[in-house]
Amino acid sequence: MTRRRLLGVLAMLLLASSQGAANPSGVGAGTFDAQCGGACHGDADMNRSSPATVTVEAPEVAYDALLTSVSVTVSNIQTTTNGLLGVFLLSDLSGAGDTPADDGWTVISNSEGGFENYVEAMISPGQTEHTVSWTLRAPSVGTYNLHAAIHHGTQDGSEAPFFGSTASPATVRVVEVPENLPRLSATFTPPTQITVGQTTELNLQTEFVDGVTVEWRTVGGEAQPATVRQLEDGSWAFTLPASVQPVVIEWRAHLEGDGPTQTTPWFQINSDDPSWSVDETTAYVQSVAMLLAATSLFVGLQHRRSESPLKAYEADLDEVGGED
Amino acid sequence: MVSAGTLHVVSTEMTVGAFAMAGAAFLLAGLASHDLAGMRRHLTLADNVAHFALAFGLLAMPMAIMTGIQASPGEGVDHPLLINKMLLASTAFGLAFGVLLTRWRQGSGLWLNEWGRRWQALGGMAAVGLILTTASIGGTFSRGESLLDMLHLPYEHVPLMPIWLSGFVIIVATVNLVLLRRPAQA
Repeated sequence: MTRRRLLGVLAMLLLASSQGAANPSGVGAGTFDAQCGGACHGDADMNRSSPATVTVEAPEVAYDALLTSVSVTVSNIQTTTNGLLGVFLLSDLSGAGDTPADDGWTVISNSEGGFENYVEAMISPGQTEHTVSWTLRAPSVGTYNLHAAIHHGTQDGSEAPFFGSTASPATVRVVEVPENLPRLSATFTPPTQITVGQTTELNLQTEFVDGVTVEWRTVGGEAQPATVRQLEDGSWAFTLPASVQPVVIEWRAHLEGDGPTQTTPWFQINSDDPSWSVDETTAYVQSVAMLLAATSLFVGLQHRRSESPLKAYEADLDEVGGED
Repeated sequence: MVSAGTLHVVSTEMTVGAFAMAGAAFLLAGLASHDLAGMRRHLTLADNVAHFALAFGLLAMPMAIMTGIQASPGEGVDHPLLINKMLLASTAFGLAFGVLLTRWRQGSGLWLNEWGRRWQALGGMAAVGLILTTASIGGTFSRGESLLDMLHLPYEHVPLMPIWLSGFVIIVATVNLVLLRRPAQA
């Protein structure tokens, strides 16, 4: 009995170690506090200090409830052999209640194609710097700090978890929107995903805007103008060309009106292959069905065959001339 | 600091290793039960090894499945390879369980039945083949290649039944298993 208990405890400890360890394969993008509440790299006390430098860049002034862009640059990158680097955008570094949403920011999109404050980027061998951009909707009037942090591993095979953060935050002053400021409508949300091989028409809703020009570019490429047409008052449309392969496309709009001309931040859109999806419930139920069907078929098959084992046994004995 | 990926490799090796041994033993048991290649005297040994290895593989398989889900990137089963892997593993599990159940209920006497011994050997080897194909899909998913790629198996196609049909199959299979609890009439 004691041995069984000991084996049980050992088995539980072994299983628990997989739950509490770092995740070299990542945990996927998500909305996480710094340290993921212990979900990404286990206990924060087990983390080592990252040698990477993390900087966050944000405009000094943003307008209440309007969109703005923040970017986090990680330099002197070290990561695991699979190249996974986790990047957080945070409102502070306390480790709890520190997502941008906790300060009133709304994450609209990020340059990795999602809408979370934590993203995982794949770093190519030899790459030493990587930048992730977020488009945020500003909170109410006030002064806010934005921090960034990173999680990564090491190539020495120890699978040790590393944590790094900004030395100093970016400070953003959110002010009231001036009267008649040309701007995107507060309800406008830029798309973050388009499909490879398809042209994409985007609709813009604006306020106090008389004219719109739009430019787009692939990351690192030259900006190209897009043809904009007015659908109705405060509503505009433009078309992004089809991409031939998965790529990040950026676009921004110049808004003209009675007030000072405004330029939106660069909005990122990921063009990706058509996603594959399946109803998971159907797959799980079919899985159970196939398990039971295989068992049932085989047992049924052998059940029929087992009708005359005695005769077979006797025949076998006759063949070898045994027992009488 | 053992990651799910490492544990998955360990548990997969245990599962595949056990199943591979079971497959070889089922082949030997099949030959021995047919008195081929002078194997008859090894029937008891091959029978025991085949079923014990199969049972060990079945015990190790849930660990491989759980760690595989933890180690896979993203959320849920969002790739045709993963769906096919799950379906094949389930079928293999069911078939292997049926083989063990039959052996447990009928004892070693099943090797004396002309068709019983054939189905038992074939069933055991089929379960092993399904597991090895499952492992091959895992290799294709994680490394982009596998030894079975030469067969050009249609891993990217997922044969999904409507959920009502799966439910019907579950009911029929369960009823069948319940009815089969009664011993056959001689």
